[in-house]
Amino acid sequence: MILRKILENLTYNFLQIDMRLKIFSISIFLFSLSIFSNITIEISRGTEEPPRIAVVPFLYDDQSISYLLTNQISDNLSLFGEFEIIANSDLIAFPSSPEDFFYNDWRTLDIDYVVAGFISLEEETSKFIVNYFLFDIRQGRNLLNGTARSSEDSLVLSSHKMSNRIYKQITGVDGIFTTKLMYILNPEKDKYQLNICDINGDNEITLFDSPEPIMSPDWSPDGKKISYVSFENGNSEIFIQDLSSGKRNSLRRYPGINSAPVWSPNGNYLAFVSSRSGNPDVYLYDLKTEKISRITAHYGIDTEPSFSANGRKLLFTSNRSGTPQLYEVSLITRKISRITFDGNYNARGRYFPDGKNIVFVHRSEEKFHISIKRLGKSGLKMLTETALDESPSVSPNNNFIIYATKDAENGYLAGISLDGLAKFKIPSKIGAIREPVWSPFLN
Amino acid sequence: MEPISIFLISILACLGSGCANDVADDVSASSYASVSGQSAQMGPKMDVNLPDKVYFEFDNFDLGDDAMDTLEQYIRFAKRAKAIRLEGHCDERGTREYNLALGEKRAQSVKEFLIVNGISSSKIDVVSYGEERPDRLGSSESAYKANRRVEISLY
Repeated sequence: MILRKILENLTYNFLQIDMRLKIFSISIFLFSLSIFSNITIEISRGTEEPPRIAVVPFLYDDQSISYLLTNQISDNLSLFGEFEIIANSDLIAFPSSPEDFFYNDWRTLDIDYVVAGFISLEEETSKFIVNYFLFDIRQGRNLLNGTARSSEDSLVLSSHKMSNRIYKQITGVDGIFTTKLMYILNPEKDKYQLNICDINGDNEITLFDSPEPIMSPDWSPDGKKISYVSFENGNSEIFIQDLSSGKRNSLRRYPGINSAPVWSPNGNYLAFVSSRSGNPDVYLYDLKTEKISRITAHYGIDTEPSFSANGRKLLFTSNRSGTPQLYEVSLITRKISRITFDGNYNARGRYFPDGKNIVFVHRSEEKFHISIKRLGKSGLKMLTETALDESPSVSPNNNFIIYATKDAENGYLAGISLDGLAKFKIPSKIGAIREPVWSPFLN
Repeated sequence: MEPISIFLISILACLGSGCANDVADDVSASSYASVSGQSAQMGPKMDVNLPDKVYFEFDNFDLGDDAMDTLEQYIRFAKRAKAIRLEGHCDERGTREYNLALGEKRAQSVKEFLIVNGISSSKIDVVSYGEERPDRLGSSESAYKANRRVEISLY
């Protein structure tokens, strides 16, 4: 619903929004707390005033526990500039539950929402029980009574879950604070890492590292496995890795390239590219039977497959017309139809989950921009202005697109909200960072 | 009070004050394993004292005159070599997986030239690295030109 509304509201003169952003943009820098992480997030946001929210430190004897939770919730809600957080020093009361909450106290402040809560320790398990509440000041309503039960080492994750609940209650859109980003980091020559981190850049973990290139990471729809291409055996080869055990399986390798693996929405298939027939074509791999079926057969380059949300179609790039363009193939009828006609380079497409829109890389005046298009409609809309933008990935709540780009120094990640109001950068302090993939919702 | 009245009163209370949504989470973190890969090993190369690269135009895999001149000099060595490795590469412009395919097309153009000139296809190994292994860093025209290449190694 939200996605449809946003995409329908996207007028095709994005430049206006952008002008506004330039004139009034503010920047917030959030430095990662983790010593392992080398990522920082930088937000610039337009004029539209975000709702103001107070997160009252939760009532508990040990203030460090209390602040750990409430600071993280505040950081999450302001991460993409969607909410403005009221500073603790400006708080006029410290309620902890609906019993001691008085709406009139808060009406003197120009404020939309208040989060409050109290913590207790469950003696037998040593787990913390957090009771938290969301109050809508303008309507005078208690919107949410939440409980979270968590061990001490899961408190940050717990605060992300609380943030999801609060965000969903206010916006109606699923929160993405427990999702992760996966990407390739190239910290120095002949050193490649496949990493994941929280969406605020914290908790960076290396899943796989190699002296040979790594490419094309993708998440299984349940978020428990990943696929990627590794050159560790001297040529491109597709691997599936179990995230908790680290166990890796290679798809049977054929001569030529073995690339661009993507998971089907039901998790039963990988679409991938192989040039075993002499030129690159799109194939399907059945993960249960290990059977392979060929989807395209053309002497040109066919690559970069992506499944539609219902799993019935693939979007792919082909140069069969002479230049790279996007095509759709029905997995039921195998009928192929051309999707893009603007310009001479349209590639690496991904469907939005609504099945009606796609995001891809479009070349215009020698520059490569992230662009979106409504299927069945002519034209497209460029979302970005930098010159070497690639690898777009959509957040599971459809609100953000993250992509890779490059400045004179190095590759970095950048993102944009579909309402055009928030833009963010995730630069790397060490080396080049690229090929971001937003995880599905994780439990 | 009748149970039904209690029910009605609680509904009315909800309507009056707005009923809060109740949610509960039991949180435990998942764990992630880290794995390392090894380096691919190749044997010693044959020393031929020739340029080891031929170059291409953007989004193109046709051999130009310069490339064919270089390759012609390779033929007599290629006949003696036990194995030939052709590595296709691209500049950073355009998408990565498309470039991986394009790099292979470039290496295949070289392979076909060698086959036409009498080299056995069975000893030619074609690999594409796409844009993953630039010869020269940076986003200049000269770097792009240097990176759109096929590297030839005889063993």
